[in-house]
Amino acid sequence: MTRDALAAHLRALIGPRWVKERTAERTAYDADALPGYRALPSLVVLPGSREEIVSVVRLLAAHGIPFVPRGAGTGLSGGSLANDTVVIGLNRLTRIHSIDAANHIAHVEPGVVNAVLQRAVAPFGLLYAPDPSSQAACTIGGNVAENAGGPHCLKYGVTLNHIAAVTVCLPNGELVQFGSAVSEPDGYDLCGLFIGSEGCFGIATDVWVRLLPVAPAVRTLLADFSAMTDAARAVSAIIATGIVPAALEMMDQATIRAVEASIYAAGYPTDAAAVLLAEVDGLEAGLDADVRTIERCCREAGARDVRIATTETERARLWQGRKKAFGALGRIAPHLVVQDAVVPRTRLPAVLDAIAAIGARHGVNVCNVFHAGDGNLHPNISYDADNADESARVHAAMSEIMQACIDAGGTITGEHGVGLDKLGYMDALFTEPSLAAMCAVREVFDPERRANPGKVVPIHACREWAGRAP
Amino acid sequence: MLADLADRIAHAHATRTPLRIRGGGSWLHAGRPCEGEPLDVSALSGVIDYEPGDLTLTAYAGTTLQELDRITGAERQWLALDPCAAPTATIGATVATASDGPLASTFGRVRDLVLGLECITGTGERVRAGGRVVKNVAGFDLVRLHTGAWGTLGVITEVTMRLRARPEQDDVFAICADDRTSLERRLAPLADLPIAPLALELLNAPLAASLGFEPRLCLLVRLGGNAERVAAQRRALDALGDVHEIALDRLHALRAADPTDHLVANITHEPSRFTDTWRHVSAFCDAHALWQPRVRGSIRRGLVRVSIPMPDEGAAHVGEWASFVRSIAPPGAHVTWEQLPMHAWPHVPCSVADRISTGLRRALDPAHILNRGLLGEPT
Repeated sequence: MTRDALAAHLRALIGPRWVKERTAERTAYDADALPGYRALPSLVVLPGSREEIVSVVRLLAAHGIPFVPRGAGTGLSGGSLANDTVVIGLNRLTRIHSIDAANHIAHVEPGVVNAVLQRAVAPFGLLYAPDPSSQAACTIGGNVAENAGGPHCLKYGVTLNHIAAVTVCLPNGELVQFGSAVSEPDGYDLCGLFIGSEGCFGIATDVWVRLLPVAPAVRTLLADFSAMTDAARAVSAIIATGIVPAALEMMDQATIRAVEASIYAAGYPTDAAAVLLAEVDGLEAGLDADVRTIERCCREAGARDVRIATTETERARLWQGRKKAFGALGRIAPHLVVQDAVVPRTRLPAVLDAIAAIGARHGVNVCNVFHAGDGNLHPNISYDADNADESARVHAAMSEIMQACIDAGGTITGEHGVGLDKLGYMDALFTEPSLAAMCAVREVFDPERRANPGKVVPIHACREWAGRAP
Repeated sequence: MLADLADRIAHAHATRTPLRIRGGGSWLHAGRPCEGEPLDVSALSGVIDYEPGDLTLTAYAGTTLQELDRITGAERQWLALDPCAAPTATIGATVATASDGPLASTFGRVRDLVLGLECITGTGERVRAGGRVVKNVAGFDLVRLHTGAWGTLGVITEVTMRLRARPEQDDVFAICADDRTSLERRLAPLADLPIAPLALELLNAPLAASLGFEPRLCLLVRLGGNAERVAAQRRALDALGDVHEIALDRLHALRAADPTDHLVANITHEPSRFTDTWRHVSAFCDAHALWQPRVRGSIRRGLVRVSIPMPDEGAAHVGEWASFVRSIAPPGAHVTWEQLPMHAWPHVPCSVADRISTGLRRALDPAHILNRGLLGEPT
């Protein structure tokens, strides 16, 4: 089928306004938050309901046409890039169908923005725990696809731990439900399998998210250090006490200075080598004892100062600096590449040293702002992607950083997904049979591999899976 | 040993020989009848990697829960899982069966605690999923797929679990009520109390009696944290009635494996309907004249677990099994049967008969040799 004929069919299904054909319109969808990659979709379709998603997907299935589901496009791994493929944008599906305050469950459409959901459930004294830094823009559907995290995952877990059920439009247009909003079904954990499948298993049309009661009390501290490794040692010491902070975030000097020079200035000391932002929450009783323990851990690890936010405004300001750090870093250079490796917590000091050495060797400026409590590093480099030499050095450095993290027993992505960007590292992380098993699982959902083709698992790994290799 | 195991499974695949996977033997009486050559993985035992500072532990699947408890306890850490099983139950089987207990309301279910695993598929391929770090989204989540699959998609050989530091203080309190009619009244104040218990478990009179309590409805509250936090919560409990502190080790009795001749079911519904679910299950047992059913409930999770001695006269008490297996749960709730007499199983709907589940089994165990029939899957 020609593109024009397909567009005509799609217009008939969901209305002409929601099928984007002109280059200027499609260009808005030619990138996500991963710099250096552009891919122009052949068409962009914006269905407005579950039924319209199904009709669009069935039409594409009938003609064997691949598609890429897309939320807000805030992904950092190139997962929503669509090269000459149809993009199914889900931003019109923004309804919050219900909030069940008694059972702590909300039923939402996939295009609901994370922060909008937070605001909607707040009057009930509830919150949705995953809070990616992009939460002002990213959608619940995208969070499900990527198994998104955020600073507060240290205590509360990632998206996987907070989704009760999903209704999924499979790549053949069939609607199925995985999980349950009202009970704990037995059988295979297909809901768990679907979360983090990066759009390769179908499109979530409905999501039932679990909510948590807002903690009755919270304390936020900022400790500043004259060496990164001191801050990393403080992290280990805090974790070893048995306290599970709600968040434990670290920023290095380059990040601190970028934040302080921006409109997001949070009052971080610009002469510090690193700051550690720690938060504890829960019952009021015993919380100050936890704060004292954390303060002691920081001071014993060499903290120059430990500040405890005394007002909600002060607390919000400390967090704003962290949440907007990537935005602040984006001012330094035209492009910013952010990695997402995870290492065992005890390896943080060694890996941070290794990253600094790799950056120096390649002449690139690596900044670190990351979820220290989880060992989830976000080394990021500001650069000019149009400068071929600089781009090459950045990519070489990133590749070495990833290898250092894998060598330390870590993984290549903690919350951003594999997408396109990390496809090349999958072979270093998984054996051939492991990748082949993933391909085999994908083909159960999508035998023609039409949903988000070419992402997550390298094509070469998708060998015939019919028993052992001879 | 792993290579031998893989070869054995590959051979079974080639010869279409069904295998019955066996670890510590804890869950062999659970699920549907399942025949096959025994595949004993209990010798595959021992800790592979444990760095206390990382709060993660990697062990071979045959490592027992009691061994893990000993090793992590020495570092004042624990695997916060308390399934009903003998201490010799293995971690591999715990993951394969996704078995948990009262602590799951606070620390998560097995799916929330397993970070990575290695397994051997039904074709003899060694496959690794997830990793050894606490956050990981690299590749499709085969960890969740194998967790609770009862070995039907692969033989788990190694797991990495998330650990927790043991609470500085860990105390258990019991609050006993007179009879069932006061259930709502007793539980209502719970929602507003300033407590965040590690576990909150309701026991019926026969179960309470079997644990050495008065034979009355009994609420167990497990409080943990620093001394100040536990003390404040303990004071708050006074609003519920007479509070008695009990020794932590009495909780272990609650973890005892269900006798193999019991009917065992887990019934889940919305937490707000917990008392309805509880009443329904209790009334069901009364109506069927089932002797001394042991009923317990994880209130915040909406879960009621019932363990009933098999009626002496068998089906005479039970009536039609088809109706029995369904009507133990109130409308809208879900029942997962763990133990039933052999002839009752055909009346329990299969939960892996859908197209995707069937496809996954064909993909990972094409000859259908692993624990064949255990989940009632179509052949």
